[in-house]
Amino acid sequence: MYYYVLEAPSSRATRQLYQKLRDLLTQLSIAGEMVAASPARSAYELSEMGMEKGYSTIVAVGGDHHVNEIATAVLGRAVLGVIPVGASNLVTDIIGYTDMREAANALKQRRLSTQSTVLIEPSTIIFLDTVISTSKLAKISMILDNKVRTHAYFNQLTINRFLQMKLDSFHTTEVKKVFGIFNTGGNVIHSESHFHAKVARIITDPILPVNVSGVAIAESPMQLRLIPDSLKIITKRGTLLE
Amino acid sequence: MRNMPNEGTSGPGTVVGVNVALSGTLKDQNDIIIYGMVDGEVVSEKSVTVGETAQVKGPVKGALITVSGTIRGAIDASERLEITETGKVFGSIATKDLVIRSGAVLVGKVTMGADEQAVQEETKENTEEEVSIPVHTDEDNKEEVVDGNALAPDEE
Repeated sequence: MYYYVLEAPSSRATRQLYQKLRDLLTQLSIAGEMVAASPARSAYELSEMGMEKGYSTIVAVGGDHHVNEIATAVLGRAVLGVIPVGASNLVTDIIGYTDMREAANALKQRRLSTQSTVLIEPSTIIFLDTVISTSKLAKISMILDNKVRTHAYFNQLTINRFLQMKLDSFHTTEVKKVFGIFNTGGNVIHSESHFHAKVARIITDPILPVNVSGVAIAESPMQLRLIPDSLKIITKRGTLLE
Repeated sequence: MRNMPNEGTSGPGTVVGVNVALSGTLKDQNDIIIYGMVDGEVVSEKSVTVGETAQVKGPVKGALITVSGTIRGAIDASERLEITETGKVFGSIATKDLVIRSGAVLVGKVTMGADEQAVQEETKENTEEEVSIPVHTDEDNKEEVVDGNALAPDEE
């Protein structure tokens, strides 16, 4: 049976949606136990409680950050199910469905697939794309696989679950006056870099938060490690065998 | 994530942006594109593209190598090496197929893998747009300077 961890409802509409979901899951005979995250109990803590009660599948009902938090809790210990509510295509592309009814049907079918994740040491997991961003250019140093050192100025670093990193920066060229009348320069130059590694150390100056969907999950400096095929998740195109 | 295909552990390739300085051995099973500065070895099983703004100090190895920036180091292109109009190479070259565009700079020894006769036959088949240099075996082990302007035909 499933243990559903709902994201803290932010509006009346979300509460009504959760009620509809409860009815739908009852119809499909996969209702299980439902709990909602709150300031008093985080989704991580609730997932821990579910596993302690003996549930082998924890279902995250909510958006990107909520799904990532529960993935961190269940990694290597239980199966992750997802009912996307306000989730981006980062989630729906992985699970293969977008609406609640499809998600409920997928949970009933219980097709499993495994996904890679990245560990931010000591214990945070990157399952969905994680972003370090800053409006002003900041310094970044990365040591990749203990072989390559990179130094750059950046505005945004995006890290996905395969430890593929995309580094973006936007420089503005200096504005100069010609004959005291015309302005030249001031153009924005975009620089984009792509790296991948199995192990990475990332240092930024200043220290910056690492966000999933705008919510901080860690901060730099950080040590990252790829964990291939580490997360079992219910998806539309998974296999029926566990 | 845009431009970050999910291809698992082998990765989608490496791009070193224009404002990035990198040191160490840059190895990738897939394509490597460099616009920034690299101090160290660059190795790809596929292609290596050195962009106009790039400066590489170290040996470069790959199947297909295109140089539009500056390389100070040996180049080993197992299939083909192209030095474009803006490309500058200071180092020895080993390749099967070499293209040097008008305006390129090459300072170094050129070695082509096949025997001289075979390469000469191959070069006859090339189109007018490209120039393949026949074998440049430097028997005296002297450094050879090849001026791209002198080698390339009129482009127009």
